[in-house]
Amino acid sequence: MKQFMITLASIVALSACKPKQDLPKEWVLEQSIPLKGVNPIGITEVEGQLWLSDGDHNRLVKINDQGQILAAIDSLDRPMHIDAFEKVLYVPQYGSDNIVSYSEGHQKVMAIKDSLDAPAAIAVFDQETAIADFYNNRILYFNGIEWISIGREGKGEGEFYYPTDVQITADNIWVADAYNNRIQVFDKKGNFLKILGQDQKMNAATGIYVSDTEVFVTDFENNRVLVLDMEGKMKQELKDSVHKPTDILIMAGKLYIINYSTGTLNSYLSQEVKKETNF
Amino acid sequence: MKKTIIITVVISMMTVLGTNAQKVMDKFMVQVDGLGCPFCAYGLEKKFKEFKGIKEVKINIETGDFSFSYPAEKALGLEAVEKQVEKAGYTPITTKIERADGKVEESSGSLASISNDKLVSKNLKVAGNCAMCEARIVKAAKTVPGVAEVSWDKDTKMMAVAFDGTATSLKAIEQAIAKAGHDTKNFKATDETYSSLPPCCHYDRIDQ
Repeated sequence: MKQFMITLASIVALSACKPKQDLPKEWVLEQSIPLKGVNPIGITEVEGQLWLSDGDHNRLVKINDQGQILAAIDSLDRPMHIDAFEKVLYVPQYGSDNIVSYSEGHQKVMAIKDSLDAPAAIAVFDQETAIADFYNNRILYFNGIEWISIGREGKGEGEFYYPTDVQITADNIWVADAYNNRIQVFDKKGNFLKILGQDQKMNAATGIYVSDTEVFVTDFENNRVLVLDMEGKMKQELKDSVHKPTDILIMAGKLYIINYSTGTLNSYLSQEVKKETNF
Repeated sequence: MKKTIIITVVISMMTVLGTNAQKVMDKFMVQVDGLGCPFCAYGLEKKFKEFKGIKEVKINIETGDFSFSYPAEKALGLEAVEKQVEKAGYTPITTKIERADGKVEESSGSLASISNDKLVSKNLKVAGNCAMCEARIVKAAKTVPGVAEVSWDKDTKMMAVAFDGTATSLKAIEQAIAKAGHDTKNFKATDETYSSLPPCCHYDRIDQ
């Protein structure tokens, strides 16, 4: 009996000492919030508040976490994928071929020497700026000193077929090459580096968001968002409550996806998920 | 006398300015099929900006309703509007103009009514991608006299068509579809027509 008790105690002690195994994390849908009268195309953050571009209604709206509109900027001309940096909102106007910025109630048109044809997205990162120039099939990139033009129409490496979104990270420029159904990555000299997501049979890769560890892309026509690792390996597919998604953002640890057709905002939490295994 | 002239000139100027401010406008309503993607839909709107003087442009991507007003003096016609829609790569289903003087002009496609004993039903592979492709393929087939029913499935890429076998043939229908920009089993669209399709319609081409 004594021996049995010792053995039992040892097992319990060993179990207690066994280091806890980290479970893999996945994005889990928290809620899908209706946005009354908004068909969102772009999403960004200014001081912890979400701003959306509402292309159909030619405006930007600031919303709270319940989707209620707190403020609006009207009289825009088809605002698309917006961005913000140091409290300044940057808005590409697809209909009037320019970029406007808003800061403390003041509007300014960005000076760009080259002409744009339907700017679909802007990305700002410190002194750098990138614009997805939709009908010109290129990315215009300002490196802090000069503008360079990246890409041309085509289906090869470094070529675009209607780019709709762009993001700048510390080392790279990431492009949603929408109708080539893929993501392309460039260095900051404009050199092509790699293609992601080409094997995923996307139909219109319209929106992109890049975090430190993951790449998110909206697969517009297939009603899903793909989560890839930095090399393009598929990690997760988000489909529930996703309807014609247009953009993605991570703010304060939460993932947000906007749905154009249903006018909804999905929020997700990163949670450990127990995978079922079959023996 | 001098005073009278000044008053007359001022009144005339005000009348002219008033007339310009209340320009007489015709109203246009076009139903465009397959306006699923905002990037393409706003592209349609951009294309119509070529019509100088266009006002009150409204576009409903979900329903495909596209409307605008245009100065009546320019007498813009149904055909020109439909051509512009097609130039942007889209398919007009119906077009209606409410003229400023109250007249209404309308166009819409209609299918032939054919007795069952003449009806031939066929299935055929037609290349395409999306709802816009579907609209274009169906409309192209409908333009062939004798076609009674037509549908196309974007998942299977198969078209089902019923037509008067004495009035037309599958070959004629295939040719009409290829002319609109879509490869069929036996006919290929020209590279030029294929290139002019909107980005989302650029399907994988069929090798013949």
